Amino acid sequence: MTDETAQRRFARFTWSDRLEHWIQVIAFTGLAITGLIQMWSESPVPRAIISGVGGINTTRFVHRSFSIVVLIAMAYHLGTAGYRFFVERIGKQMLPNSGDVRAAAHSFSYNLGFRRDRALEGKFTFSEKAEYWSIIWGTVLMAVTGLMMWNPIATTKFLPGEIIPAAKAAHGGEAILAVLAILVWHMYFVHIRRFNPSIFTGYLNEEEMSDEHPLQLAAIESGEDTITIPPEVLRRRRRVFFPAYAAIVLLGAAFILVFLTYQEIAITTVVPPDTGVEIYTPYVP
Amino acid sequence: MASGILVVLVSGGADRADAQSTSDWDNETCLACHGQPRSSMVLPSGDTLDIGIDEELWHNSIHADWDLQCILCHTEITAIPHDPLEVETAREYAIEKSGSCVVCHREQAVVDDSVHAQARAEGNDQAAVCSDCHDPHYATDPPMSHTAIPETCRTCHSEIYDRYAESVHGSALVDGNPDVPTCTDCHGVHEIAGPSRGEFHLFSPEICATCHADEELMEKYGINTDVFNTYVADFHGRTITLFQEITPDQDTNAPVCVSCHGVHGIQPADEAGSSVAKENLLATCQQCHPNAEDAFPDAWMSHYAASSNEWPIVYYVRWFYRILIPVVIGGMLIYVATDLVGRVRRRREQVA
Repeated sequence: MTDETAQRRFARFTWSDRLEHWIQVIAFTGLAITGLIQMWSESPVPRAIISGVGGINTTRFVHRSFSIVVLIAMAYHLGTAGYRFFVERIGKQMLPNSGDVRAAAHSFSYNLGFRRDRALEGKFTFSEKAEYWSIIWGTVLMAVTGLMMWNPIATTKFLPGEIIPAAKAAHGGEAILAVLAILVWHMYFVHIRRFNPSIFTGYLNEEEMSDEHPLQLAAIESGEDTITIPPEVLRRRRRVFFPAYAAIVLLGAAFILVFLTYQEIAITTVVPPDTGVEIYTPYVP
Repeated sequence: MASGILVVLVSGGADRADAQSTSDWDNETCLACHGQPRSSMVLPSGDTLDIGIDEELWHNSIHADWDLQCILCHTEITAIPHDPLEVETAREYAIEKSGSCVVCHREQAVVDDSVHAQARAEGNDQAAVCSDCHDPHYATDPPMSHTAIPETCRTCHSEIYDRYAESVHGSALVDGNPDVPTCTDCHGVHEIAGPSRGEFHLFSPEICATCHADEELMEKYGINTDVFNTYVADFHGRTITLFQEITPDQDTNAPVCVSCHGVHGIQPADEAGSSVAKENLLATCQQCHPNAEDAFPDAWMSHYAASSNEWPIVYYVRWFYRILIPVVIGGMLIYVATDLVGRVRRRREQVA
């Protein structure tokens, strides 16, 4: 690395993106731990952790608390992603396209030695898009199945009862998939292959850029990367976007709140067994 | 155990004989008067106390077999004619005499945390003492047959007995089936715990599992032994199991077997009147989930494991992930491995 490249740095993540990532790190880890120990609660280590947390009811409470954090993070991300899509109109770069399939196939044959030239990718590589959309899909599925289990009374008002154990099966399966995907895919691409500091610092240097995002670097150099939106256009788009976003988030939050609290899920008192029987009733032959 | 009892007996008995000038009285002395089966006396309260002994039954009893002397227990008798009893009522006499049982049967008689001992400590004179269940003069060994147990408890708990007698367990017992549980199989005997205690609730599935997870026993009746495992695998059973392990002293209202199946009046699950029969299940769920509607009971898989016939959605969701997880993670691992290998190879080529 020369002094010249060290001086140039390229913005990749805003402070808001980095905050979202930290929230994801905490909530994902918290949910994975408090969830998996429930799935494998018959084994000694999960049992010890449940005990350390303070029992199964506390474990469930902590798990659900983390899930609220994720729901809020989802609502926030809907805002940041929506803003990029509808106001800044730069969201398209995150959508999967045929180029990603080509890049994946290209990289694969390059790695196997069938091709001598590497795949050149833009701001978001196919591996990053794959992970991003997996997280979106996984989070939505976990949220839906999790909420179904949270209030099975409300769920079975609209859906057949079997959906509850099915949701449990899907929630568990998706959890294992998500944890393993993070451990394999995410761990390899951003930690092992090369530690990518941009999610913490916000920036990549020139060497990292030309290695990972050569097309983006080229676009920056040629000036194609900078899009300027006229202020009046920006204002008009914002006037539409913000109310729509607020309405969607409020409706979603209201739905979830009503769904979870509209009716009592279960009584909190203890039902004595065999009610209505007198204990002392001497036998009269 | 029998020898243990005898050791206490010999030493205890000897002390007593020395302390009293009645050592030359043998049982025949007593039976000379008390051998009239129908004799009785009136206590100050007006209660009648039966003081007659049926000699034949006495001679067949375990205490006679051991050649126990009347005065070993009846220590209040020191003279003939006897001094008046210092009790007002027959009940008072029974409670006071249970003190005699302790001399030999310490282990069975000193159970302060039994529900009966506690009720008595709280001032309930009706709570059972030894002689309410075991007639001291006529008890045989073993003290009670399987079928005699519910009859004994019935003395005080007749309403519960009536429910039990109509249940799948009780009706079979009346027909002489030794496999079914009687009162003491679930409640214990002398250390009998109050069923309203949280701990009893928490550990009661273990009691049911004693028989219902026993393959050999259940095979005779064609009963599924997966009932316990499937319960433990689900939300309610998981809660109960974890409370047992981690916080056995805390109450939980998560249901146990009897919460849905009923307690004394338990019916076969496939019987129309059963609380877990399809048509009654919603009402049973509503005991704890008052807002539950028609589709809700199906959220519980009725002790079945998911298969293509039973609970197919659950079955196919599981299969979906059983295939998806290895395919996705396997694919990732293959790609990551080739990327790693490619990098190492290219670096070598560069160096070369």
